[in-house]
Amino acid sequence: MSVFTEYKKEIMDAAHNERIRLALSRAIASYRTNTNSALKKFPHTIKMAEEVREIKEKAISEMEQLAQQACEAIEFNKGKAYIAKTADEALKIIGELVGKDKLIVKGKSMTGEEIELREYLEELGNEVYETDLGEFIIQKLHSRPMHILSPAIHVPKEDVAELFSKITGEKLEPDIAKLVATARKLLREKYFEADIGMSGANVVAADTGTLFLIENEGNIRLATGAPPVHIALVGMEKLVPTLGDAYKVAEVTWRYANYTVPSYVSLVSGPSKTGDIEKVTTYGAHGPKELHVIFMDAGRTGLAKHPILRQALYCLRCGGCLYECPVFAVTAGHFGDRYFTSIGAVWAAMVSQDMEKAASLAYTCLTCGRCKVRCPVEIDGAEMVVALRKLIVEGDELGQT
Amino acid sequence: MDNKELIPPGLTYLADNIASKDNILGTSKEAGAKWAKELHLPKQMETMFFAGCGYQYNSELESLMSLIRKIDKSAVSTELTMSLAGFQKKLGIDASGIYRKVMARGSGADAQPLRDAVKVLDSLGVKFGYLADEEPCCGGLLYFIGLHKEFAKHAQEVYARLKSRGVKRIIGIVPSCTYTLRNLIPDSIDGHDLEVKHFCEVVSEGISSLELRYPREVKVTYHDPCQLVRYLGLVEEPRQILRAIKGIELVETEWTKGEWATCCGGGGGFEAVFPELSQILAVNRAKELIETGAEIIVTHCPGCIMQLKAGLKELKAGGVEVLDLAQIVAMAMGV
Repeated sequence: MSVFTEYKKEIMDAAHNERIRLALSRAIASYRTNTNSALKKFPHTIKMAEEVREIKEKAISEMEQLAQQACEAIEFNKGKAYIAKTADEALKIIGELVGKDKLIVKGKSMTGEEIELREYLEELGNEVYETDLGEFIIQKLHSRPMHILSPAIHVPKEDVAELFSKITGEKLEPDIAKLVATARKLLREKYFEADIGMSGANVVAADTGTLFLIENEGNIRLATGAPPVHIALVGMEKLVPTLGDAYKVAEVTWRYANYTVPSYVSLVSGPSKTGDIEKVTTYGAHGPKELHVIFMDAGRTGLAKHPILRQALYCLRCGGCLYECPVFAVTAGHFGDRYFTSIGAVWAAMVSQDMEKAASLAYTCLTCGRCKVRCPVEIDGAEMVVALRKLIVEGDELGQT
Repeated sequence: MDNKELIPPGLTYLADNIASKDNILGTSKEAGAKWAKELHLPKQMETMFFAGCGYQYNSELESLMSLIRKIDKSAVSTELTMSLAGFQKKLGIDASGIYRKVMARGSGADAQPLRDAVKVLDSLGVKFGYLADEEPCCGGLLYFIGLHKEFAKHAQEVYARLKSRGVKRIIGIVPSCTYTLRNLIPDSIDGHDLEVKHFCEVVSEGISSLELRYPREVKVTYHDPCQLVRYLGLVEEPRQILRAIKGIELVETEWTKGEWATCCGGGGGFEAVFPELSQILAVNRAKELIETGAEIIVTHCPGCIMQLKAGLKELKAGGVEVLDLAQIVAMAMGV
């Protein structure tokens, strides 16, 4: 079967799955209601989103300098920073830092998914726990995320109860509060036993080297706070010049991500330290003694050179567009690869360099343009898809086909 | 270097029809122009009405789509369903067959939106012509599926033909053709100087002085075609027209209207690549629209009309009608 035929079968199976459609129709309705009321409550967000678009446009053109600057800032803060040109290089750096036979607790990271970080660490002989509830479910189901922020958006509570019953060996009812409590119990000790905590970052300020980590569950605070080592993998598109810029990006991200105000935002700039005994700076007080940040290129600087497709790098990963896509509403993340819908298509072509997959996704887009109406930074999904189709069938100035 | 084999076959079939027959369906130009035979519209005019493939070949597209969908749902191999050309042969629905069918039917009873649009423009005192069998296909599909070089070449031919007929202004009616003529073709032409307007813009400018009354009291909802609302930015014009008609109560969806309207699932040849999925999306959109309690769904695009009709049929919502804005206006004018 051709890649396209196989893919078409996959999305048609999804389209016939009533549970996906039901789960998504509920998610879409609640997303729209919540986001509308969040924007009404904090109307300055709309103007701030315009500023963020400008910040991102500029930052994407300067990714390499910003990565350099951020590395220097993190080193100044006594952390370690690395630039990985490729996905393999990023894996190698992380692999060498981790070694084997380690217990690792991980926060959810789409960049980690992109390079299959968890699978790689497991192959090296480590035990890895996804700590985000949705991602934990996905890991245990041996499935893949179906939404940027809600990876298990397609899994109803009955299926979660069945899964957790299998893990715990006791019969669990599909009671959401009890299921959440079960996950908490299963993971609680792991944070304190873990050798290493891992995360991504929602945005990074190059001037101070500060990582912003937005979350509601509290798993990222624990995973990046309790273990003695914190390793963060960051796509270079997450860099912006200043702490002030990063704050704006973060606020716009969480507002459009349906969070209104997130429970937690962690700002991490270096390892834990204290000077409380004789003013002697000592590392590893209560938090990690070591902070390692890997800035990964893996096709991003190449993508930044394309006048239209570079918009994919402006994406804040709020996931808002997905709720407006009529195809996503019936297929969920099956209309995607590492990322979803039009941005997923661009990523498949330019980052994963998988043209057949990219074509399958590009021709699944309706080019209806509603994603752009939702996008806080006005990424024009339809325009990107048409440019990508051109690149696929005609090649272009970048010499790629 | 090119990589055309990565374009799904349903789309290459439509693109080949544009290249070989100058229309997306691959039937004859005479069949497309049949609807206007008795209207005697001039072929040489400064203002030209651009009918577009979608409306001109609407009935053929509908029957072809319903066949494609049946096959896509059946157990026939997926490879085959992807190849429109392939099952066209298998089923004997070649272009000449469709052509014969259309000719046998007489004066193209299905192009009602076009005949009504002509009556409306006449009533507004607009002087215009129609190129009939010489009307070029706008070629927009080539652009949207990624064949930009072919589109640029086609754009030159379209422009040259329009200029050779002394055209200065175009009144488009299919949203995608109008967008192509107004926004895409100028990018391929040095010194482009054609003015392009959409039918609903012309109507909304001209109706304020008219007394418009729909034959009965009805609840009407409006479905925004993607290219009309998000590409051409025509949000208010259709609504202004509908509100100006006495007897019509405009009831709209709470969220999915204007720039937030949900696509009918028939965008840019999507229906030829994913016929069954396209129908699922049509049903979803039709459901959103009938929840308003409307008796008539008004829209303004041949693709949307086809999709929404299919969606309503699937929902067994027989009491709800789908009409083009041009039809509604003609009825309200009593022409």
